[in-house]
Amino acid sequence: MAFAIQFVIDVLSLGGAYALMALGLVIIYGILRLVNFAYGELIMVAGYTMYLSSGSSLPWLVMAVLAVGMAVLFGILTDYAAFRPVRAKSVTAVLITSFAFSNLLQNAALLFISPRPRNVPLPEIFSQTVSIGGAITPVRNLITIAASIVLLAAVAFLMRKTTLGIAMRAAATNFTMARMLGVPANLIISSAFALSGFLAGVVGILWIGRIGTVVPGIGLEPLLVAFIATVIGGMRSLPGAVVGGFLLALIDTTLNYTLSQDLLKFRDAFTFSLVILILLWRPEGLIKGPASGQRT
Amino acid sequence: MKHAYLTALILIAVVAALAVGSQLLGIRLYDRIATNLLISLVLVVGLQTFMGNSGLLSFAHIGFMGLGAYTSAVLTIPAQMKGMALPDLYEFMTVLEVSPLLAMLAAGVVAALVAAVVAYPLMRLSDAAAVITSFALLVVLYTVMNNWSALTNGPRTLFGLPKTTDMPIAAVVAAIVIVIALLFKESRTGKLLRASREDEVAAAALGANIPHLRWRAFILAAFIAGVGGALWGHFITSFAPKAFYLKETFLIITMLVIGGANTVTGAVAGTILVTFAYEGLRGTEGALNATAIGAGQVVGLTEIVLALAMIAVMIVKPGGLFPNREIGHILTRTRRKKEIVS
Amino acid sequence: MLEITGLSINYGAIRAVRGVSFSVGKGELVSLLGANGAGKSSTIKCIAGALKAAEGSILLEGRDITAANPEQVIRAGLATVPETRDVFPDLTVAENLMLGAYIHRRDQVGNRQNLEKLHTLFPRLAERSSQPAGTLSGGEQQMLVIARALMARPSVLLLDEPSLGLAPAIVERIFEMIETLKKSGLTILLVEQNVNQALSVADRAYVMRLGTIVASGTAEEIRSTSDLSAHYLGG
Ligand SMILES: Nc1ncnc2c1ncn2[C@@H]1O[C@H](COP(=O)(O)OP(=O)(O)OP(=O)(O)O)[C@@H](O)[C@H]1O
Ligand SMILES: [Mg+2]
Repeated sequence: MAFAIQFVIDVLSLGGAYALMALGLVIIYGILRLVNFAYGELIMVAGYTMYLSSGSSLPWLVMAVLAVGMAVLFGILTDYAAFRPVRAKSVTAVLITSFAFSNLLQNAALLFISPRPRNVPLPEIFSQTVSIGGAITPVRNLITIAASIVLLAAVAFLMRKTTLGIAMRAAATNFTMARMLGVPANLIISSAFALSGFLAGVVGILWIGRIGTVVPGIGLEPLLVAFIATVIGGMRSLPGAVVGGFLLALIDTTLNYTLSQDLLKFRDAFTFSLVILILLWRPEGLIKGPASGQRT
Repeated sequence: MKHAYLTALILIAVVAALAVGSQLLGIRLYDRIATNLLISLVLVVGLQTFMGNSGLLSFAHIGFMGLGAYTSAVLTIPAQMKGMALPDLYEFMTVLEVSPLLAMLAAGVVAALVAAVVAYPLMRLSDAAAVITSFALLVVLYTVMNNWSALTNGPRTLFGLPKTTDMPIAAVVAAIVIVIALLFKESRTGKLLRASREDEVAAAALGANIPHLRWRAFILAAFIAGVGGALWGHFITSFAPKAFYLKETFLIITMLVIGGANTVTGAVAGTILVTFAYEGLRGTEGALNATAIGAGQVVGLTEIVLALAMIAVMIVKPGGLFPNREIGHILTRTRRKKEIVS
Repeated sequence: MLEITGLSINYGAIRAVRGVSFSVGKGELVSLLGANGAGKSSTIKCIAGALKAAEGSILLEGRDITAANPEQVIRAGLATVPETRDVFPDLTVAENLMLGAYIHRRDQVGNRQNLEKLHTLFPRLAERSSQPAGTLSGGEQQMLVIARALMARPSVLLLDEPSLGLAPAIVERIFEMIETLKKSGLTILLVEQNVNQALSVADRAYVMRLGTIVASGTAEEIRSTSDLSAHYLGG
C-alpha cells in the first residue's frame, strides 16, 4: 500500500512538472507553429534570479515572484530577439535563431555568473518530508502536485473563459482570421510568450527545488521533457501536452522503479525507444490539435 | 549538370588550396587548424546532404559522429592496449584489430545502421516534431555513449587510438564527401526531396514517398558523420563523450547555416569562415584570460559572438551566404551574362 | 464610402491584380464578378489588410487604409467574410460570435442587443450556440461567419462568394439575408460567381478578368451585355 501511494505521488508530482513544461512550449507552438528552443533557458533565468536575489533580505516569496517575473520578461524578450525578426521568413530560420538565443543566454550565464553550480535559496519546507499512509515523501512533491493542479486549472480557465484565452485559441487555428476580427497579433503573441515564461518560471522554481542549485545547462532536461511530451501528446493540443507530460512521467517513474541500477543510467534511452514505438503507432501524437490553420 | 562539375572542381580546388597552403606555411598550429577544418568540412557537408535536401534541421548529426568515433576506436585500439583503454570491453572484442581505413568504413556503416533503425519512425512525423525528436535523439545517443562503459569507457576519456589521420588524408576524405554530396543533390532522390521542400503536395503527386526519401538522406548523412567521427578520432587520438554534444552541434549548425544550408558551396564556405572566426575568438578569449582582468574567467565569449552572428545572418540573409545556387552555377551564369552584354 | 484606385497585388513574382479601380457608395450593394482566378479574392483580402498592396490606394470614408493591418481595418468599420469560410472549428458558435465583437468587448450591453438581433436573423445559430463551430453544416457555417462579421457592427461588409458550395435552397436564404442587410443601410461589396443571383440584389457591378476590370455598370447594364457570361465568366 505504502508502495502504491509512493508510486502515485511520484508520478503525479513528476507528471505535474512535466505537464507544465510541455504546456509552456506548446502554447507558443500552437499559435505560431514555431518551436522555441530557448524555452529551457527561461527556467535557467528563474534559477539565477533566485540565486542573485538570495543576498538580499527579501522574503522568499518575493524572490520567487521576482524569479517568475524575470522568466516572463525573458519569454517576451525571446520573441523580440529570436522570433519577431525572422518569423515571416521560415520555420527553420526561427528554429535556428531560437537555438542561437538559447546558446547566447547559456553562455552569458557562463561568462557573467559562473560555470559552477550556484545555490538557490529555498524555504525550509522544501527539504522536509511527511509520511502519508506509511509512505515517506518529500513535502516539495506535494507542493509540486498542488501547484500544478492550480496552474493547470488556471490555464484551463484562461483559455476557456476569458476573451484573451478564447482569442488565443482562435489565433492558434487561424491567425489571419482572428486578426480580421480585430484581435491584435502582437497582443496574442506577447501574451503567449508571457504565459510560456510564467509557466517556465513556476516550474523552474519547483524543478530547481529538487536539487537546490542552478547551472547554465539547467534548462536542457526540462526542454527535452517538453519536447518529448508534446510530440507524444500531439504538438498542437494543450490537453495533449498535459497528457503527454503525465504519460512521460508514468514511463519514467515506472522505469525508475523497475530498472536495475546498471540499466537505470540508460533510462532516457528506454524512454525514447518507447516514445518511438508510440509514434510508430500514432505519428500525429495521441491527441490531434485544432483542425485547420496556416502559419503566419 | 555541367555547372555541377564546375562546382565540384572549384570546391575540391578550395580543399586542395587549404591543404597545400597550410603545408607551405609550415607551422604546426596551422596544420592542426587546417586538419580540424577539413574534418569539420566532412561533418558539415554531411549534414548538408540531409538538411539541404530535406529542409529539416537535424540535431542528431554529432551523435552519429560519436558513434563513428567509438566504433573506430573499438576496432583499432591495439589489442595489448585495450586492457588499459577499455577495461570492461566484451571478451570477444578484445582481439579485434583492423586497419584504420576499414575501421573508418565500419564507423560509417554502424552510424548509418543505427540511423536507419531509429530514424524511420521519426521521418514520418511533421516537420517540427521531426526536428525536435532529432534533438532528443542527440541526447539519447549522448546518454548511451556516456554510460555504455564497456564500449566507450563511460564519461572518462578514451585514449590509445592510433594517430592515422593527417592533413592529406583529411583533405582526400573531404574532397570525396563533397563529391558525394553533389552527386546526391543531383540524384533522383535528392531532386525529389528538394521538390518536396518547395511543395509537398506536388512532390507527393509525382510519386515521391517523402518520409522514405528523407530517411535515405538521413542515413547518408549519418554515414558521413560516422566516417567523420572516425577521421577525427584518429586525429585527436583521445576523447570523451562530451566531445559529441551540444557545443559541437551548435558549431556545425552555425557553419552550415551561415554558409547556406541549401548548397554544398554554402557548407564549405560556412565551415571555412566559422573556423577562422572561431580560432580568432578562441585566441582572443585566451589572451583575455591571460590578462589581470580576465584572469582565466572568460568562458563562453566565443559562443556568444557566434550566436549573435547567427541571429544576424538569419535576419539579414536567412538562406546564408549561398542560399540556392552552387558556385559553379553562379559563375556560369555571370559568364553567360557577360557574353550577352559583349 | 470605399474607394479603390490603381490597386495591384503580387504573389512573389506573379502579379495577380493589375491596377484595379472601383468604388462602393454609401448604402450601395456592389457586386464584383469574374471567373476563377480573376483576382477577386485577392482584392478582398487586400482591402481587409490580410495582403499587402504593391501599388494603388484604398480609401475608407476618406481615410487611407492601404497599409493598414487587419486589426486596424476592422476597427475602421470594414468587416470581411472570406471565401474560405473561416469559422474557428474548436470554438463554440457563441465563442465565435463573441470574438466577432472583439473590438466592442467593453460594450457588453450593446453586444447582447446585437446578438439578439442576429439570433432573430439566424435562428439556427441560437439553437446551436454551445456546439463547436466545426460541427455545423456548410450553410450554417456560412451564416455563422456572416453573423460573426456583423457582431463587429461594421459600416462596410465584404462578402467573398457566400454561396460557394451550398445547396440552392440555402443560397436562396443567403441572398434573402443579404437583401435584408442592404435594406438596413449596410454598404456591401459582394464577390460572386453566381452571376444572376448577384445581379438580382446588386445596384452596380464590376467584372474582373485576369486581374483587371473589364466591364462595369449598373446591374441592369451588366445583365444586358450580351455574351457576358460566355466571355468573362467562363460560362
Ligand atoms: N497564395 C497565393 N500564392 C500565389 N498565387 C496566388 C495565391 N493566391 C492566389 N494566387 C493567384 O492569384 C490569382 C488570383 O486569385 P484569386 O484567388 O484572387 O482569384 P478569384 O478571382 O478569387 O478566383 P475564384 O473565383 O476561383 O475564387 C490566381 O491566378 C491565383 O493562382
Ligand atoms: Mg476567390
